[in-house]
Amino acid sequence: MKALSYEQKERIGFTYITGQLQPSSPYGTERVRELSPVENKTELLRQLDNVRRMLSVPEDGSLRRMLQLFHGLKMLRPTARKGRENDLNEIELFELKRFLLQTAEILPLWKELQEKWQLQGLRLADTEAALDLLDPHGHRVASFYLEDDSSPLLTLLRQEKRSLEAELHRAPSDELYARRSLVAAQEESEEQRLRSELSKKLRPYLGDILQNMEAIGELDLTVEKARLAARFGGVYPEIRDGQLDFSQMRYPKIENFTPISLSLPIGSTVITGANMGGKSVALKTLALNVYLIHCGLFPFAQKAVCPLFDALLFLAEDAEDTDKGLSSFGGEILRLQEALDTIRKGFCLVLLDEFARGTNPDEGAALVQGLTEYLDGLPVMAVLSTHYDKVAQKASAHYQVVGLRNASEEELSARLRNLDGAGSLKLLQQYMNYGLYPVWDAGDCPKDALRICRLLGLEEEILSLVENNYGI
Amino acid sequence: MPTLGELLEPYGSVSLIGMCKNAGKTSVLNRIIRESAHKRLALSSIGRDGESQDLVTGTEKPGIYVPAGTLLATAADLLKHSDISREILDTTGVFTPLGEVVIFRGRSDGSVDLAGPSITTQLSRLREQFFSFGAQQVLFDGALSRKSLCSRQVSEATILCSGASYHKNMDVVVADTAYQCRLLTLPEVPLPQVTEELKGVLPYAKGEFLPMSAEEALKTGEAEGLFFGGALSEFALRPFLALSLKNITLTVRDSSKILLKEDAFQKLLRRGASVSVLESVNPVAVTVNPFSAYGFHFDPEKFYEKMSQAVPLPVFDVRREAT
Repeated sequence: MKALSYEQKERIGFTYITGQLQPSSPYGTERVRELSPVENKTELLRQLDNVRRMLSVPEDGSLRRMLQLFHGLKMLRPTARKGRENDLNEIELFELKRFLLQTAEILPLWKELQEKWQLQGLRLADTEAALDLLDPHGHRVASFYLEDDSSPLLTLLRQEKRSLEAELHRAPSDELYARRSLVAAQEESEEQRLRSELSKKLRPYLGDILQNMEAIGELDLTVEKARLAARFGGVYPEIRDGQLDFSQMRYPKIENFTPISLSLPIGSTVITGANMGGKSVALKTLALNVYLIHCGLFPFAQKAVCPLFDALLFLAEDAEDTDKGLSSFGGEILRLQEALDTIRKGFCLVLLDEFARGTNPDEGAALVQGLTEYLDGLPVMAVLSTHYDKVAQKASAHYQVVGLRNASEEELSARLRNLDGAGSLKLLQQYMNYGLYPVWDAGDCPKDALRICRLLGLEEEILSLVENNYGI
Repeated sequence: MPTLGELLEPYGSVSLIGMCKNAGKTSVLNRIIRESAHKRLALSSIGRDGESQDLVTGTEKPGIYVPAGTLLATAADLLKHSDISREILDTTGVFTPLGEVVIFRGRSDGSVDLAGPSITTQLSRLREQFFSFGAQQVLFDGALSRKSLCSRQVSEATILCSGASYHKNMDVVVADTAYQCRLLTLPEVPLPQVTEELKGVLPYAKGEFLPMSAEEALKTGEAEGLFFGGALSEFALRPFLALSLKNITLTVRDSSKILLKEDAFQKLLRRGASVSVLESVNPVAVTVNPFSAYGFHFDPEKFYEKMSQAVPLPVFDVRREAT
C-alpha cells in the first residue's frame, strides 16, 4: 500500500495512534517516525506474527530491564557508517565502545526473552570480539583511553612525559615546559596512529554492529506495538484476499465509542444516517484500522479479516481546496479523477465522505448515484457515506448509522427542556448511537434532521412550514 | 589569612566572574588548582574561554594547567588543543559551535582549552555528572558578561575577578567592583509565578502578582514590590518616578538585569525602595590584578588596600602570592 500523506494520517487518527507509541531507544523512535505500510506480504505477516508472539508472553522484569538499557542507547548509526571507510576519533571510539558494552548487557536478556517469545527473523549478534579490541585489558568500563601499553612507542612517550611533569612539580622552568610540550605532541601523533589502526581492526565488525542497531530498533518497536494492542484491545488480523470483515471495530481517539461492525463486498457499500450521526467517524475508523494492519500494527477490533490493498483513498471535503482558489466542489471532482486513475491501477479501498455535499441536492444525488453504480462495477472496495436518497440501491451493501433510532423521544425532550444550546448538543450526542447496522432493503436515508431540529427547540412555526412544504 | 583554596574548601561548586577581559581569571583558576592539589577537581567553563591568545586584545594568555586526575568538560573540537593524556568518560548531549561537550579525565598533567555549556540547566546537569564521576569540587570559569549563569543553581560560591584592565583610573575600578559586589549580594525574593517569557513590570504582594497595573498598585498602596521582567533601567523606572517608592521592593531576575549606574541605584534606595533578585549569586572573594593588558599597571599594594576597604569580602592579589 502507498503511504498516506501527513494530513491524511492526521485525519484518520493514525498520528494519534503513533503518538501513543513510546519506544525506549533512538532506534525505536526512528522506526515509529518512519512507520508506513509494509510492501512485502511475507514481511508484513512476519511483523504481525511477532506482535502476536510477544503478546502471548506477559511482560516481566527482564523485559523492563532490557528497555531500561535501550533507554541509555545513543543514535550511533552515522558513526558506525563513517567507520566503514574512515578513521574514528576518540569520541566516536568511546561511543562505539559504550554501545558494545550496552549490547553485551542486552544480549543475555534478549536470549532469555527470545526463548519465550520465539520471534521470527530477529537476531542480535555477539560483538564481544569488537569490544575486546576497544578494551584489551577487559576492564569493561564505559570510558575510552589508549593505555600506555598500546604500543612500545606510547609506553616510552608516556614515561618521558610523566618524568618531565614530576620535574616540573619540583622546579618549574620554561625549558622543561617546552620539552614536555614536545613529548606531548609526539604522544598525540602516536595516539592518532593507534586510533587509525584500531578503526581498521574494528571495520570487519561494523556490519554486525549496524545490524544490531536495526534489530534493537525493530525489537523496541515490536514491544510498543504489543503494548498498544494490549492497551486499546488490538487483535491479530487475518489477511485474506478479497475479504474485509471487521467486528466491533473501535477508534481509540474517541472515548465511549460505539464499536462498529462492517463487512465490505467487492464494489460499493453505502453508509447512510442522520446528521451528527457519525458517518465520517465510521469511515475514519475503517480507514485507520485498515491502515494499521498494513503498517504491521494490530487493528482495534474483536475480529479483523482484511485483504491487502494497493492504495487507501480517502476523499473528504478539504479546506486546502479553497486555499488553492478552487471551490470545494471543484476540488472534490479533481481529487476524484486522481483517485479513479489509481483505482484502475490496483486493488483499492476507496472512502468517500459525503461526496458532492456542496452542490445542489438534485444534481448531487444524481452524481453520487452514478458514482456508486460505477464503482460497484469495479474491482474495488468503495464506501460512500451520504445523505442523498436512492443511492443505496446502486450499491452492493448498505449500512445505516443507528443514530437516535433507539432513543425514547419523550425521555430525550424532557431532559432537553432545561438545557442551553451547548448542553442540548452534548446530551444529544450522548443519546446518539454511532453504531452501524446493515440494511437489507436498500431503503432511503433516515429523516432524522427534522427530529433533531425539534429536539434542539427550533421554532415550531418554521418546523410546521417545513413540514407543509415537505408534504408530511 | 587562608589561601584562596582554603577559603573555597566548604563549597562543592565554585564559579569565577571577571569584571572585564584580562582580569586575571585564568591566573586565579590556576592558583585555585595549585592550592587544591589534595582533592579531585572538575573543571569547565561557561561558554568559551581559555584560548592561549586573547582574541580581543591579542595578548598572550596563561593557559589552564591541571594535574593528572582532574575531570574536565569541553567541546569536542577543542580536545586537540589540550596536551593532556585523555580518558573519555561521557558525552553530555550539549552542543556548542565547537561540537558536543564531552567529559574526560586527565591521565597526565597538561594544559586544556575549555568551552562548556552556557545554559543554567545544562551547567547544573554537568555539575551533577562531574560529581557522579567522583569530583570533590567543580570549578566553572565564567566567561565575560555571563554573571547571570553563576547563580546558586550552578555554583555555591563565586569569585569576582577585577583588575587594571577594567579602567585606567584605579578609583573607578575599585568603586565599580564594590558596586558589582553589592549587586551580586542583593537579597533573594522568590516569586513562584514568574516564567521565562514574562515581560513588563508587574506589581506583587505576599509573593503573588496583583491583578492591576504597576502604577495602580503603587497608588492604592497595595503593592509590596514590582517585578521587572526585563532590565531595571532608568527608562524602565520612568513611569514610577512621580509615585512613592517607599518600602517598595524592586525585583529583577538576577543582578545582570540591573542596568543602573551607581548614583541612580543610590537615589532609589534613598527614596525608600529596596532591590532584590530571584536568583542570587554568592560571592566569597574578590581578586585583583594590578597588571593591565593595555600596557599600564597599578601600584599593587595601593590597589589591594583600596579594594580591601571597599568590598566586604576577602581580597587576593593574583600576582603577589602566585608562584
